[in-house]
Amino acid sequence: MDAGQVEKAQSLGLLTGTDSLCPAVLFSPLRLLVVYPWTQRFFQSFGDLSSADAIMGNSKVKAHGKKVLNSFSDGLKNIDDLKGAFAKLSELHCDKLHVDPENFRLLGNVLVCVLAHHFGHEFNPQVQAAFQKVVAGVANALAHKYH
Amino acid sequence: MLSAQERAHVAQVWDLIAGHEAAFGAELLLRLFTVYPSTKTYFKHLGVCPDEAQLLTHGQRVLEAVGVAVQHTDHLRAALSPLADLHAQVLRVDPANFPQLIQCFHVMLASHLQGEFTVQMQAAWDKFLTEVAVVLTEKYR
Repeated sequence: MDAGQVEKAQSLGLLTGTDSLCPAVLFSPLRLLVVYPWTQRFFQSFGDLSSADAIMGNSKVKAHGKKVLNSFSDGLKNIDDLKGAFAKLSELHCDKLHVDPENFRLLGNVLVCVLAHHFGHEFNPQVQAAFQKVVAGVANALAHKYH
Repeated sequence: MLSAQERAHVAQVWDLIAGHEAAFGAELLLRLFTVYPSTKTYFKHLGVCPDEAQLLTHGQRVLEAVGVAVQHTDHLRAALSPLADLHAQVLRVDPANFPQLIQCFHVMLASHLQGEFTVQMQAAWDKFLTEVAVVLTEKYR
């Protein structure tokens, strides 16, 4: 990412801590489970996932989603060394959680859609490009330690 | 295979686009080229920096084809056969590019329609466009 793109990312307020995370962003993991239902495979014990409404109202998924997004925004504070920032999480996802890295790309894409929803016309092609680069960087970092 | 509910959602999405194929098509292409610059390799005829008129013309063509697909969700193969031939014999767009186009479509709809583009509509639209992409690329070999 170049400086201009980082600025754009920061200006949309995503690179902040828990309390200032744009609330809309918290819906991304929920939307992931609706739009790409096979991702539910990791959440069998999370209760009712039988319909879009059930998923969007599921407090366990929402709580887990918040955890995921906090890690995401924490990692982004080290945007110049994403591989370092996400190294431990990468090992965890490979060795303990056994998550196909394709899921990181799907979540990244859904996150970008949620931002587009939230920011409307402000989310123009250049801003989308900056954010797609960020989420691709995070997805690659999370996949980096897979073996 | 789209369920009746999914077909209804697809029709809902199309109702929000119909009549504005050129504008939405142009923005779709602009997002595609900006976010995924390698996709421009399939549009050499539009030049390094396609102008608005070119984007509108080509964008309209793309969205009109999507409109045809919307009208024929029950028999996509038949309805899109000539386009499938074109993609297999002439255009030969690598299948890996279609998910990128689909992502740009979702982002475009989300930014324009915001709350009106519900998660159920996005799920159905994604399934539908993925089916269209499969049909367009299945004659490749």
